Amino acid sequence: MAVTEQDVLEEIRNQLKEIKVPGAESATPGDTWSELDVDSLDLVELVKALEDRFDITISDDDLKPIESVGAAIDLTMRLADEKEGSPA
Amino acid sequence: MPPPENAVALVTGGTRGIGAAITKRLQEDGYTTVTLGRTSGDVQADIGDPESVQAAFDKVRSEYGPVCVLVNNAGERRDGLTIRMSVEDWEAVIDTNLNGAFHCTRRALDDMLKARWGRIVNVSSVVALHANPGQSNYGAAKAGMLSLTRTVAREMARKGITCNAVTPGVIETDMTTDVIDKLVAGVPAGRVGQPEEVAHAVSFLCSEGAAYVNGATLAVDGAMAA
Repeated sequence: MAVTEQDVLEEIRNQLKEIKVPGAESATPGDTWSELDVDSLDLVELVKALEDRFDITISDDDLKPIESVGAAIDLTMRLADEKEGSPA
Repeated sequence: MPPPENAVALVTGGTRGIGAAITKRLQEDGYTTVTLGRTSGDVQADIGDPESVQAAFDKVRSEYGPVCVLVNNAGERRDGLTIRMSVEDWEAVIDTNLNGAFHCTRRALDDMLKARWGRIVNVSSVVALHANPGQSNYGAAKAGMLSLTRTVAREMARKGITCNAVTPGVIETDMTTDVIDKLVAGVPAGRVGQPEEVAHAVSFLCSEGAAYVNGATLAVDGAMAA
């Protein structure tokens, strides 16, 4: 089943809540990591959670330009789509 | 905050000497312990090889549970004066003692970060602080472990994870039988230490009460490096 924008947003909000980011529940795609006060270690946790939840692998190169919730959603959906489209 | 209920304490090189004493002590402390060795132990791995370490951690996670306590204890000695030391002896000791600690730490942090609880104890050595001729490889690796300890402590401190080191002095084990008489003369305490004395220090650093002890190096050496 295709991964939706809402699925990824929910997972990001859950993970931000776990990391104890203030306002995690209302984070929007337009929010940047710096606005949310998410540092590099928080991002590692977030990436691990997205990898586990959506069965994808996010490389360091993929991660570098990702500076906002929306960019993370787009990347996760792209990687999940690529995985779904590839032969098992 | 206590450790997760199914938390595993993994001790590398945990079947002999100091490692065996640490394993026994952590069992007494209530942990499910898993020993990791090259050919012995509950799980086997070449800790100098990152892929072998990854496979071993996957096995521990699926068969025992998440690793929330890691004791990087595995080590080997290949002594010789630097001028005569082979590259092979240098690299083998750095690989097992320092690179091995890095590979295991990296993998254990995955589980600890998820649990938001972790204890890493690196078993370094008095020679990291007090040079011993003939052990440039061993001393460099053990000194490297101390820097690794402090860096990991700073990186992970706000995630409920501590990383500390112990520096045993002359401890009575199979690994030191050939040099023990010569070394004991330099110990202010006037005697060798026992593996259980190192295990006691490790137990403290793994305890809930040591949650605010982070990045520390605890000497267990009868004042040898004081």
